Amino acid sequence: MSPYFFYLFAAILIFASLVVVLARNPLYNVLALVVAIFSLSCLFVLLEAFFVGMVLLLVYAGAVMVFFLFVVMCLKLNTFTLENALQSRFRLYGTVVGLSFACLLGLAAKSFIKAQTMEASSIRGTIETIGKILFTDYVLPFELTSLLLLIAIFGIVSLAQGALGTGQDNKNL
Amino acid sequence: MITLGNYIALSGIIFSIGLVGVMTGRNVIKVLLSLELLLAACNLSFVAFSKFNGDYAGQLIVFFVVLVAAAEVAIGLAIIVLMYRRLSTIQADELRTMKW
Repeated sequence: MSPYFFYLFAAILIFASLVVVLARNPLYNVLALVVAIFSLSCLFVLLEAFFVGMVLLLVYAGAVMVFFLFVVMCLKLNTFTLENALQSRFRLYGTVVGLSFACLLGLAAKSFIKAQTMEASSIRGTIETIGKILFTDYVLPFELTSLLLLIAIFGIVSLAQGALGTGQDNKNL
Repeated sequence: MITLGNYIALSGIIFSIGLVGVMTGRNVIKVLLSLELLLAACNLSFVAFSKFNGDYAGQLIVFFVVLVAAAEVAIGLAIIVLMYRRLSTIQADELRTMKW
């Protein structure tokens, strides 16, 4: 049963990430990334990492992607998506570098022979087990992450004040 | 039977797609979305290694990566909105003021 689900979600993930990179409308890019994150969290559930899968679904697909959609819809982008498609100087170079990087990764993965024979362990990343480790061994990084989020809030507020507080940029709105 | 190699190969494919997006994207929002793809590919290989090694550390790293990525996206989108207000565009090539 599990192999079919793996191939199904892997196909959805690859297709959605291709849409993220190739679609010209930014709205489609964001919505495709939501689909990609959803299938990624399904893969996490297949790997029995339930907690991380749910966090990915809630934080990424729920909060971050809605934030992206807000910004894309606020910016009125549709007027210059077409001229965007016409001038693509770096497309060739970027594709060549990406393909050669894919070949490199393929060679590296192929040389990792042990991966084919490794047995899946029986660990299950439920809320109980992850929470126990998170609040014992990893409590310092956890608290530092809250500090990081606080600094991010300060940064966003100061950026917004720079735009709105001086009153100069309000004319452009 | 799905082995660790399958997950690593999938992660490599997603990483390469995201890398092409970062390098060819001229729209700043698309570059930011492709960066999210890179993070997602790394998260997938972390969880796969965690499952096949029998160690929870990989899943905890994914948890922290998601939190840091949320902060990064918030700051990045604030910068994009500011850029749109100043320059009325979000093309990366229009950012010329730091060149001299």
